[in-house]
Amino acid sequence: MAKPIKVWMAPPGPNPWKVVLILEELDIPYEIVSFKFDDVKKKPFIDLNPNGRVPAIEDPNTGLTLWESGAIIQYLIEQYDTEKKLTYGDVIKKNQLNQWLMFQMSGQGPYFGQAGWFNVLHSEKIPSAIERYNTEVKRILSVLEGQLEGKQWLVGDKITFADLSFVTWNDRIDATLMCAPEKKFDGIPNVKAWHERMTSRPSWKKAMETRAKLMDEQGLQWNGMPKGINNMEEYEAKIKADAEARANGEAVG
Amino acid sequence: MSSKEPSITLYTTQTPNGIKISITLEELGIPYTVHKIDISKNTQKEPWFLAINPNGRIPALTDTFTDGQQINLFESGSIMQYLVARYDKDYKISYPPGTREFYEMNNWLFFQNAGLGPMQGQANHFTRYAPDIFEYGISRYQNETRRLYSVLNTHLSSKNIPYLTGTKCTIADIAHWGWIASAGWAGVDIDEFPALKAWEDRMAARPGVEKGRHVPDPHKIKELLKDKAKMERHAAEARKWVQAGMKEDAEKAASAKEQK
Repeated sequence: MAKPIKVWMAPPGPNPWKVVLILEELDIPYEIVSFKFDDVKKKPFIDLNPNGRVPAIEDPNTGLTLWESGAIIQYLIEQYDTEKKLTYGDVIKKNQLNQWLMFQMSGQGPYFGQAGWFNVLHSEKIPSAIERYNTEVKRILSVLEGQLEGKQWLVGDKITFADLSFVTWNDRIDATLMCAPEKKFDGIPNVKAWHERMTSRPSWKKAMETRAKLMDEQGLQWNGMPKGINNMEEYEAKIKADAEARANGEAVG
Repeated sequence: MSSKEPSITLYTTQTPNGIKISITLEELGIPYTVHKIDISKNTQKEPWFLAINPNGRIPALTDTFTDGQQINLFESGSIMQYLVARYDKDYKISYPPGTREFYEMNNWLFFQNAGLGPMQGQANHFTRYAPDIFEYGISRYQNETRRLYSVLNTHLSSKNIPYLTGTKCTIADIAHWGWIASAGWAGVDIDEFPALKAWEDRMAARPGVEKGRHVPDPHKIKELLKDKAKMERHAAEARKWVQAGMKEDAEKAASAKEQK
């Protein structure tokens, strides 16, 4: 029996949960080390990931420390998915899975992230930047919509790690584009059905319950910012003020 | 009968992502045919190309797979993983699957594809291609690019290693090189990062990099960065088609929405 894999994360962001979904689906034992977003660029975490971004994992079974969610997913699949539940043995299909994973990592993730930044987190609303990233989000969704035409899954006829890598960001389309939740899949019915096929699975429910619990422990709102904080500049100012207060020996709430 | 011989066609243009693949192929010494894609004419959005890559981006690559059928690949990181898995039997620019170094190599490969590439790309956009000067966008993405460069610089200098995963140049290094070589285009001064600068020169001295970087056209970014007037002309040209492409994407997104 494998020893639990340590998953280091700050709970708000979408990327740690991609890894948790894979662990849940493959029924691999794991434990979460949850810490505050304030501490991602500090020790001890930057000793694990010099890039100061979540998630990172430590696998006591192999002694491997790894970061970048896509690299972690490839590792978990190769090391633990011996029955090929979420992948294929066939080399063509395996490469196609990696291709969609890379598209998620270099396309969906970064562009959705920037759209979220300019729509939600940034204090000033800048129409040209909002339009740039909203258009790119829609373009990426249209690529997925086309790929899913007449199909249940991206590659072959079963759910794979490539499908699962898109769920956490797609679940936030409404928050990213600042649209009503019921409108987030307007015009992309294939993506909607595909997304719901995945969010109805126990793995997703378990991951989101865990997320809610960890967010609550830290007193965070849905968007990852503490209660009473409205944008990222305010949050950064609070992080700075708290650090200064700590340096002066004051108690910080 | 299975095909063991490569029959690779690389669809590419002269960009940091395109030359990742030609450098990888040159380092491995694999023969390939180059099909130049004219992104200023939006060739990458034509149906025949979308059949190869539905995302309409370069690079893409086709090969005859072991079953004799054609395989279509896109996303530069995925193409590089394919090429070394299939053809790098002596581990010239990769590590054996399952080893620690193999996973660490993929770590840095993803770091480039998901972090440095997209962020430096946004810095390029706001520094060179955006219709208006937008100070916040410029500084946001230049700062993030600098932060990522400093992660690389610290990694190389604190571990005192010549390449990102140790003593061997791998696909993780190759993925970064074209981007680091064009730091100035994003408004980032490479001289702020001495260990990374030394790595860039070390990479440039490799015959495979030298050969692969000039595909499909000569790699002229270094010369361009030395000539301010020429740089501005080049940016003005690129601005025209970048903005035309953006307009087209926005219109498509709007009309797709209306149809539903």
